[in-house]
Amino acid sequence: MKKTTLLQGIGLLLALVALAPDEPKKDEAVGTTYKVPYRVTNTNHYLVRVRVNGKGPFNFLVDSGAPALYVGTEAAEKIGIKTDEVNYWTDIDRLDIEGGASLTNVKGRVEDPFQLTGMNALGLPGASIDGILGFTMLARFRMEFDPTKDRMNWTRIDYAPKEPFVPKLRKGEKLQPSAEVQMMQALGPAMKLAAVFLGKQPEEILLTRGSLGIELKDGAVVAAVVAGSPAETAGVRPGDKLTKILDNIIDSSNDAHEAVLKVRPGDEVPIALERDGQAIEVKATAGEGF
Amino acid sequence: MNMNMRRHGILWTFLALVPAALAGDADAPKHVPFRMLISNHMVVEAKLNGKGPYRLIFDLGSPVTLLSNKAAESSEAIDPNLRKSFLFGARGEGKVKTLEVGELTARDVPVIVLDHPALKALGGVLGKPIDGIIGYTFFARYRTTLDYQKKELTFVPVDFEVRDLMKSLPARMAAAKVAETRVLAPDAFWGLTLGEPTGGVDSKGVPVASVAGGSPAESAGIRPGDVLTALDGRWTTTITDTFDAASTVPPGTPTPVVLLRDGEELTVTVTPRDGI
Repeated sequence: MKKTTLLQGIGLLLALVALAPDEPKKDEAVGTTYKVPYRVTNTNHYLVRVRVNGKGPFNFLVDSGAPALYVGTEAAEKIGIKTDEVNYWTDIDRLDIEGGASLTNVKGRVEDPFQLTGMNALGLPGASIDGILGFTMLARFRMEFDPTKDRMNWTRIDYAPKEPFVPKLRKGEKLQPSAEVQMMQALGPAMKLAAVFLGKQPEEILLTRGSLGIELKDGAVVAAVVAGSPAETAGVRPGDKLTKILDNIIDSSNDAHEAVLKVRPGDEVPIALERDGQAIEVKATAGEGF
Repeated sequence: MNMNMRRHGILWTFLALVPAALAGDADAPKHVPFRMLISNHMVVEAKLNGKGPYRLIFDLGSPVTLLSNKAAESSEAIDPNLRKSFLFGARGEGKVKTLEVGELTARDVPVIVLDHPALKALGGVLGKPIDGIIGYTFFARYRTTLDYQKKELTFVPVDFEVRDLMKSLPARMAAAKVAETRVLAPDAFWGLTLGEPTGGVDSKGVPVASVAGGSPAESAGIRPGDVLTALDGRWTTTITDTFDAASTVPPGTPTPVVLLRDGEELTVTVTPRDGI
């Protein structure tokens, strides 16, 4: 009896020893810098895109004022994860952040933080917000924000903070986060107040620009016409010089880009050309693609 | 000898630092140490208009910079005769002439003044007041580096017009509630048309519908039926995503494009040309 226990003890010890070298698993990504595309919402919040367990993408707020990772209930349903009523934190296998950074085996809270619900209901940010990347996620990176650039730099560091402590509860008890977690949640973006004043704003609608199929060279001269393109159908030829598009005078390739900035597929686009010293006018119906 | 050299080394380093300090190099990175509260918030000590120090939370999720009534009054950031609103004693906008944190001095920082209930509660638990929050309107003036491990923020000024949320409030409230539209215009010619993605949240990207003959996309080896998953490091889950990604790639830029073909992932380089 005693012997068995001892053997078991040794066995356990060996198992622990065998495990030990694996314990300080250094993330291979440490030291890697990721260029993370982001947008600033109408409400001056930073949004990045995230896939959770391979599903998505979802818009997440970058919020150092939030204590941890939050996944809104609507997104959670699409992902197939649930609120953990016993342990508070839900296990998430994988989090991919646009730009290439990935985190595995992290914990997040599935719920709708007040500020998130408020902003989404009001349609405030011009994009739906599906969750929040808070301290426990952000602290794993050295983060560089430059408002003049369209990407942030996130460098993975060898640091993984623990989730804030939430006491486990006995059956029947209502799960309550610790006072500190509640405090952290309460702070959130100060936006809550502004949301009261702002009123409902619908989400931004994104549209694609129409394409003509004209390749350009210096001085707005047609370098090539794409086979089967609207420009070819309209009779534009290589060597033609563009002089006017939609009443905009064209002197450079830049002018041509500016002139068609808001053209949509299906729009009729009048184009004035110069060919062998002769002025020609054609009309092209913008197509899809780019 | 060794000792001497070392001493000289220190001396030279010291001397080298002096001109930089004298010149007051505005573009040199400014370091600001912070401490972590038990609530996982970064707190910095700041002097406002030369008074203080005040304890402010540095919050990347806050769109505004905010001061409590007490801090705003004692630092003369707001007219003490201004009436307080019934809601959190809000008194609208003030301006801090100088905000000093670590090596950094920021001038004319707009602040909103109100007693945020959560800050009050936090201060109560900590046994030391929290006087406000430093948010977007402050840090969007800089290239900001945040290092939680070193517990340090680094700021380098950039030329960027910071949108003042509070100033645009009245206009936004009065504005018609119509969705804003934005046309995404690619900056170069690629030779691609795209189909609608399928699979909802499982979708990895957009299918290529056609590739124009002789186009940059064709030269790079893109074929109809390929699924485009990333362009220039941006996910292309929808057609508009793809247009958005192409809108920041100027002609002549070799650009990585990630494709799925028969379930295999491959990366090609497309150099788009000038065209519309």
